Amino acid sequence: MRQKMRILWLSAISCNGNTHSFLNYPYMEQFLEDFEFIYHPVIDSKYLLQDIVSKEIACDILLIEGAISKEYKRADVSVVQIIEKYSKIVQKIVTVGTCATFGGIFRESGYENTSGMHFDQEKQIENFKHLLDKTISISGCPIHPEVLVNTLYSIKKSVTLKLDKYLRPKEFYAYTIHNGCTRNEYFEYKVDKHNFGELEGCMFYDHGCQAPFTHGSCNKILWNEVNSKTRAGVPCMGCTEPSFPRQNLFSTKKNMAIPEHLPVGVNKRVYLTLAGITKAFKIQRLEKKLFDD
Amino acid sequence: MIKLIEKIEGEAKLNFNFKDGKIDFVDVEFMSTRNIENILKGKKAFDALVINPRVCGICGHAHLIATVQALESCYEDLQLSNKAKIMRELTLNFELIQNHFKWFYLTMLPFFGQKQQILKATYPSQLMGKAIAVFGGQYPHTSYAVVGGVVCEITQMDIIKIESYISQTLKFVEENLVKVDSKTLLASKDADELLSFYGDLPDILREIKKADMLSHAKSYDRFIAFGENSFFKKGKSLKRNVSHSISLKDVKESQMPSSFAKNVSYKGRYYEVGPLARAMINKKALIVDAHKKYGDSLYSRILARVYEITELLSYSQKLISNLDLAEPSYIEPQLDISKLNSSGYSAVEAARGTLIHKVEIEEGIIKNYEIITPTQWNLSGGTRENPGVSQKAMVGLSDTKTAELVFKSFDVCSVCTTH
Repeated sequence: MRQKMRILWLSAISCNGNTHSFLNYPYMEQFLEDFEFIYHPVIDSKYLLQDIVSKEIACDILLIEGAISKEYKRADVSVVQIIEKYSKIVQKIVTVGTCATFGGIFRESGYENTSGMHFDQEKQIENFKHLLDKTISISGCPIHPEVLVNTLYSIKKSVTLKLDKYLRPKEFYAYTIHNGCTRNEYFEYKVDKHNFGELEGCMFYDHGCQAPFTHGSCNKILWNEVNSKTRAGVPCMGCTEPSFPRQNLFSTKKNMAIPEHLPVGVNKRVYLTLAGITKAFKIQRLEKKLFDD
Repeated sequence: MIKLIEKIEGEAKLNFNFKDGKIDFVDVEFMSTRNIENILKGKKAFDALVINPRVCGICGHAHLIATVQALESCYEDLQLSNKAKIMRELTLNFELIQNHFKWFYLTMLPFFGQKQQILKATYPSQLMGKAIAVFGGQYPHTSYAVVGGVVCEITQMDIIKIESYISQTLKFVEENLVKVDSKTLLASKDADELLSFYGDLPDILREIKKADMLSHAKSYDRFIAFGENSFFKKGKSLKRNVSHSISLKDVKESQMPSSFAKNVSYKGRYYEVGPLARAMINKKALIVDAHKKYGDSLYSRILARVYEITELLSYSQKLISNLDLAEPSYIEPQLDISKLNSSGYSAVEAARGTLIHKVEIEEGIIKNYEIITPTQWNLSGGTRENPGVSQKAMVGLSDTKTAELVFKSFDVCSVCTTH
């Protein structure tokens, strides 16, 4: 039997949301045959946290969940020290979630110099610079379980993943959240009326949806295998990006009636021209209720 | 003797003091905090709907519902459809249920000579996650409940899907947790009858009996619950005397010297919150019987929590049939939030008990936000003279392993406690 890959799941300043999102991975039985946790926040492991921090336990992958500050301790040892120790022996480091990648919500928790492992929002930091080659970022608040688990399998198979500038696998983060949203047509044809509580409409125009300029696979690999926030009518909050959380999240910031943030790579003038043309379509089907007679 | 208690969504340090071979006091210390209340200050009020689920990865939905209700209480004449209320209640039920499964199979089982049953925890939890996601888009960390209702519209097919997830989960319960028809379990009024059933719960209850622990881990026999919905009534229970007139005004939060957790008391006294409290206050016959026989013990606490799974699943089936799809999911508030100067609060029943949110808003900006979590109620660290609920439950035990079981029977959540 081939040896299982050994994983250390280390939580720093976090809500454990990634831990619980991971538990939604549908093929857990097989996963646990291929991997084992030398420590996990919920799943029983061979070692205690006290062993992890006081000794050096053999390990292949270090997973870090939560924002990082040297002031923050686990079992009386700074998380920075724990990361330094294990980063030397592991093959790969994976930052799990937006806090561990960019700082996220808990960047504001008041600990000294709190940030992600390599990034303080979009700025690359000096700490851990020597580990850039070892790290893969899985951003998201929380992470999508399949994105995390399949990345772990790619490490197990020694597959070289193409990464973006924030070290996120392009397989998952080359897409925008907008790709695959069931409300796409309202966006494409600039049908800008949207009210909460309806199947119809697009939240980009008024309600702060960041899907067209947020990277991830939420509408490609559905959540809990059934849905996504934007399909349900929750605006994308941009939770995979370094800017998460922006402010005034349920409202679209506009300048002269034009959304300040446009789809990735789209120039404002071209957007306006396109909007003018698409509005001319006046598509009846999209003006009325989806399930109308 | 200091012991680090792990895998409680973080850690806590328990300092055990022994006298004549028995625990006579346990100091509980939480070592870190994340300052969510500070993070919220100065933010737009609606942003709390996105930030607050991130208080906790396992009960974040309760924080969302508490947030939206606290914000709504700031308005004077806000309209909410019955449909939106039912949907919120359903998704919160689903979260409670997934918590109960995880606690039972991941946290409790290992104390009874068994391995964690990871798949038995994840399978039903995933079904409940799917049910939440049908409405909310994803679980964890959706923000689908907003001031005025919910952002989604639901269809007949959504209802059919959710009904299937619930039936499948009930089937899991009947085939694993308590191997009887759910109706039989719900009709049972005899706590000892459970000992004659098959299944993972009766197995553990029998272990408790075998280990002579039936009356272990008693505390004050004082219960409280502030959350109210169509299933739970608010109230308190003192030695089985139930009163429904309680006021949040009498709840006090106070700083503790050595820990990041804050004490919570009602009229100066500590109360237990959680499924056992809810069952006592709502006079659930089976649990009241367990309490009559074994008091506010480990036995009653475990039974009450698992029993709530079947109750909530079965009640959710009923609740779904009350949904009127013709009603709106969302009714836009008349007043723009940026013109709102007000304060409000909410109380909801989360998996582990009463969760309270309080908010002050000035021109739509959060001026102050306070959160009191269930674990704070149960784990308020008192003094030797006036110990907290879980502290008292550990007094008199002779070993720290059993004390850890008792401590974890309250399902401590470190991240919530030290939000």
